[in-house]
Amino acid sequence: MAYPYTHPKEVRVLSRGWGEPATRTLDGWRALQGYQGLAKALEMGPDAVIETVKSSGLRGRGGAGFPTGLKWSFMPKEKSGAHYLCCNADESEPGTFKDRELMRWTPHQLIEGCLIAAYAIRADHAYIYCRGEFFEANLVLARAVEEAYAAGLAGSDVLGSGVSIDVTVHQGAGAYICGEETALMESLEGRRGLPRIKPPFPAAVGVFGRPTTINNVETLCAIPHIVREGGAWYRQWGTEKSPGTKLFCVSGHVRKPGNYELPMGFPMMDLIRDVCGGMPEGRSLKAVIPGGASVPIMTAEECDGCALHYEGVVERGSMLGCASVIVMDDSTNIVKQVRRMVDFFAHESCGQCTPCREGTSWLSRVLRRIEDGRGTEDDLSTLLSLGDEMTGTTICVLSDSAAAPVISSIQKFKDDYLALIPARDKAGVA
Amino acid sequence: MTSGRAAVPFRNPGWAGNVGEFDLTEDEVRGTSYVGPIPADGGHPGAAPARPYQLFDRHPAAPLFEGPYRERFEKLLSRYPSAQGALIPVLGLAHELRGHVSPETMAEVAALLGIPEAEVRGVASFYTMYNKRPVGRYLVQVCTNISCSLCGGDEVLAGILEETGTELGETSADGLFTVMEVECLAACGFPTAIQINSQYFENVTPADVPALFERLRDEARSRLGASREAAR
Amino acid sequence: MSATDTGTTAPPGHVKVTIDGQEVVVPKGTTILQAAQKIGIEVPHYCYHPALSSPAQCRLCLVEVVGAPKLAPSCVTAAQDGQVVQTASEKAKAMREGVLEFYLANHPLDCPICDQSGECKLQDYVFAEGRKHGRAREPKRVFGRDDFGADILFYGDRCVMCTRCVRFMEEVAGDPLLTVVERGNRSVIDTFFEEGLQGSPYAGNIVDVCPVGALVSKDFLHKARAWDLEHIPSVCPNCSQGCNIELHVRDGLVQRLRPRLNPEVNGHWMCDYGRYRYEGLNRRDRIEAPLVGRAPARRASGWSEALDAAAARLREGAPRGGQARVLAVASAEAPNEDLAALRSLVDTLGGGDIVFRSPRAEEEIPLPGMLTLARRRDLAPNVHGAELLGMRRVGGEDGTGGLDEHVRRADVLIVLGDELPDFGEEFGRERAVYLYLGSYETPGAAAADVVLPVSTFAEREGTFTNFEGRMQRFWPGLDAPGASRPAWRALFALRAALAGDEAPGTVEEAFHHLTRLVPALEGMTLDGLGTEGARARTEVAAATRAGD
Repeated sequence: MAYPYTHPKEVRVLSRGWGEPATRTLDGWRALQGYQGLAKALEMGPDAVIETVKSSGLRGRGGAGFPTGLKWSFMPKEKSGAHYLCCNADESEPGTFKDRELMRWTPHQLIEGCLIAAYAIRADHAYIYCRGEFFEANLVLARAVEEAYAAGLAGSDVLGSGVSIDVTVHQGAGAYICGEETALMESLEGRRGLPRIKPPFPAAVGVFGRPTTINNVETLCAIPHIVREGGAWYRQWGTEKSPGTKLFCVSGHVRKPGNYELPMGFPMMDLIRDVCGGMPEGRSLKAVIPGGASVPIMTAEECDGCALHYEGVVERGSMLGCASVIVMDDSTNIVKQVRRMVDFFAHESCGQCTPCREGTSWLSRVLRRIEDGRGTEDDLSTLLSLGDEMTGTTICVLSDSAAAPVISSIQKFKDDYLALIPARDKAGVA
Repeated sequence: MTSGRAAVPFRNPGWAGNVGEFDLTEDEVRGTSYVGPIPADGGHPGAAPARPYQLFDRHPAAPLFEGPYRERFEKLLSRYPSAQGALIPVLGLAHELRGHVSPETMAEVAALLGIPEAEVRGVASFYTMYNKRPVGRYLVQVCTNISCSLCGGDEVLAGILEETGTELGETSADGLFTVMEVECLAACGFPTAIQINSQYFENVTPADVPALFERLRDEARSRLGASREAAR
Repeated sequence: MSATDTGTTAPPGHVKVTIDGQEVVVPKGTTILQAAQKIGIEVPHYCYHPALSSPAQCRLCLVEVVGAPKLAPSCVTAAQDGQVVQTASEKAKAMREGVLEFYLANHPLDCPICDQSGECKLQDYVFAEGRKHGRAREPKRVFGRDDFGADILFYGDRCVMCTRCVRFMEEVAGDPLLTVVERGNRSVIDTFFEEGLQGSPYAGNIVDVCPVGALVSKDFLHKARAWDLEHIPSVCPNCSQGCNIELHVRDGLVQRLRPRLNPEVNGHWMCDYGRYRYEGLNRRDRIEAPLVGRAPARRASGWSEALDAAAARLREGAPRGGQARVLAVASAEAPNEDLAALRSLVDTLGGGDIVFRSPRAEEEIPLPGMLTLARRRDLAPNVHGAELLGMRRVGGEDGTGGLDEHVRRADVLIVLGDELPDFGEEFGRERAVYLYLGSYETPGAAAADVVLPVSTFAEREGTFTNFEGRMQRFWPGLDAPGASRPAWRALFALRAALAGDEAPGTVEEAFHHLTRLVPALEGMTLDGLGTEGARARTEVAAATRAGD
């Protein structure tokens, strides 16, 4: 059962067992067909596993939506040294809280997914880079890893197959940017989390200089089921381009916020009004962010008829990202919330690239001034121009992410800004 | 965290607001019985880098590293192909023992791992969770990012500052609480989320603040009182 | 490749790329920025440096690659065959304008008090391509000034976070003392708390690589404006590595030394030992006029009279066919032309011993990132030049001693350049003939029959020979004071007077004379040395070198 609320429309694949303390344990996971996927993978062989994942159409659940099987196929088939798997458990995108739940209720699901993935890409070592603030999830995972080793599921002879896969739970130290895959690798190496330029790509030169694949927690949690049931099974939900189920994190102004596992393509308004129990009493929908703070804000009109899969949200001018749906009702001060998001990006910017380092704090200061009633209409065109210069010009996309809410909110909620601008500072007023 | 004394009525942590469909205990939500006692020596090497490093007890002059902590240090080194790879968990271990990472601590860690001191400073200063100066017994971290902000996070923060009598980023006069604003804690479905040392408290409203801090003060009294007893 | 592509004509292992309408063929793997440099197109950049790693983080070098959706960082993007690149298209220029505006958002208006003004890459780029009016009106972030120790001051507000300094210290100097602290807009360069750069022997180079005035030299602080300085190509006189440098001169004084690029000798660098030792070139205690007669009966005279007097004394003291014992004391700080003239004169006098003293340090100080560069043990620029001319080194490691026994047995004593710090006014008083040629007043010259004023290497053209036999040119940056002249003029003139023939009149002729004296230099010309010098023939040079 998903946690904390359930809804009949949910399809519980990854979230089966949430809310049941026993699910954490090895026995509890085995009772849910746990580690059958791993056993099957070891029989199939690495390349067959990759083909199965490819055929499922699973796309990376960390926000980029890159086809997972394809990503795995970039790894060298012939080994000339160590390969690594990194599980990106550095969930820090505002509005996202699915990976934490996956780790604290079903840690073995993640471990099994890591083992299967590591087997498929010929990795010797799987690092679970778990965000530093997730002390409880870290400890639960750590305990589960101990259980796995004790049961011969991880370590030098996985299930007697002769394959050796080590698992390490690496606890981070507080940096959103380490959720970016190349910054994650830098951080794992014990350095400042600065994103790397690509090329070279991680499958060629990754962590510690070796071929590496980085996958999100939710992606890896889907793997045991896909391997166990087959790729076609996964396609029973969703669409051709966006198959499978997705954990939707709904937060903000809804009666029942939480994680809901639903088929890809679930209608957004159904999610908000039905599954989440609708808006608070007497409130109407104003805006929705469909995929975490980094994607453009959608108006209520744009949400109407929007299907929550990758192509559906793009069609409406935004992105699905990690499917963190932040709902805002008509009491929301859009400018304040955009300013808060930009503050977040300014705080988390690594500082390498000039447009991001200078731009995020510049945007933040202008927005603060507007929020305080000391803005001008010229400021709005400046913000749009800065946002444009911050998009597509940096090593990683944090800069783009900071610009997205600013640009989209000025374009779609201009009146909210104008309401805060004193009359004398508005264009066209004598 | 359940003790023998009568539990203060408190629906957090992890409770799903007022309308939750679950009747789980705090222990069940946190998974504490599953995790069991946390070994000082780190337990299994694969688990050694994942330990709470924001503790109530700290000893600013703790040696780096002796006894079980030395064992844990060795395990950390064994999990990464280079000494530098272990830097982040080793800083975490030093932080756990001493309560914060001072320049002296950075220099000692640099020497232990054979890394230039300036590099260790660069790394330690990049990450938010290494305290650069001593903090109160409880590091109270309040999320004010968008999802919590939409649901009254700023009011919770204001309430906590008033309750503890401190300024943002400062430590209360009784040395118990340092209050910080932090970014998204990934508990957006349970606004407002706050983290105190290594525990989350979710669904916090301004009305919950007095009871929460009463509980913390109680715990502090018994822990500090116990150490005073031991000192006699 | 597009249908209109006329096909590549690049040879194997090469690519042909078109940049701003010009074609250029470069080896595979060459970056667009380097390919552009080959045809004289300089793409603005901060973090890129040819001798350091490329983090591609300043985002200033983004160029438009026709057909690509995003602008490409030209410092790390390898040029592809058939690629068409625009460095100054609308998009590229708009990008640079935007990035420059971001730099200026927090940059302090320090130009009036900033040493970098006039040689500042932020000024230059903004003047060329920046927005006319900045739109930033928020309060700027402030870091203040930090003393990094040694000669370095850091003005954090001016820093553009290119991290060249951090990377230089780590990758080239082998001394990772700098780091970036914090992140985002709060990031700043710093050392490990109160530890500084003192003791790091190449730290001064970070002032050179800093594109703005964030890192400045305390020695040079507020001393002179960049646009007032004349840059004169020269060679460092402080050890035998022979780093190529520039003298930066204003008001007839050397204000500072900067390294000059020479991939064979010093790359882009020079050591701190050499960099800060230039005050000697500004010494005031100069001999400014020829002096005739032993002190106290000594008077100033003109050159003709002094040369006539010297020639007369030499004819007396060392008549032709006679058995006069000639001793010359040379200096490893004298240029080759002067030393060649001295050798020539001594040969004309019937031959004799030429010795020199020169200080030697206990250790070399190599540069870890370029092991062919080191502050050598020999602390003078022309030890090897003297040795090639058969001059013999005497004395101790501090550059004194070793002369007494030689001087006692000499009839004719000629001293060139040695300041004789370990001797007093009685030096050479018992010799039959004693000539002193030098730049600086010294008690040791009191007993000379004739004293001739010599210009320093900074005041004329000439060459030094470095430790591995490379002949390198220098040019004049200062005016020779008074009547001082290159020593080779005086010595060749004396030789000509005694031998009855012509003296070389130009420095080219003097150099030519040198090449006839030293087999290893046969065939070389002064012009042929160019600005980067040339090696003497090593096998012959090695054979000629005395006891290595």
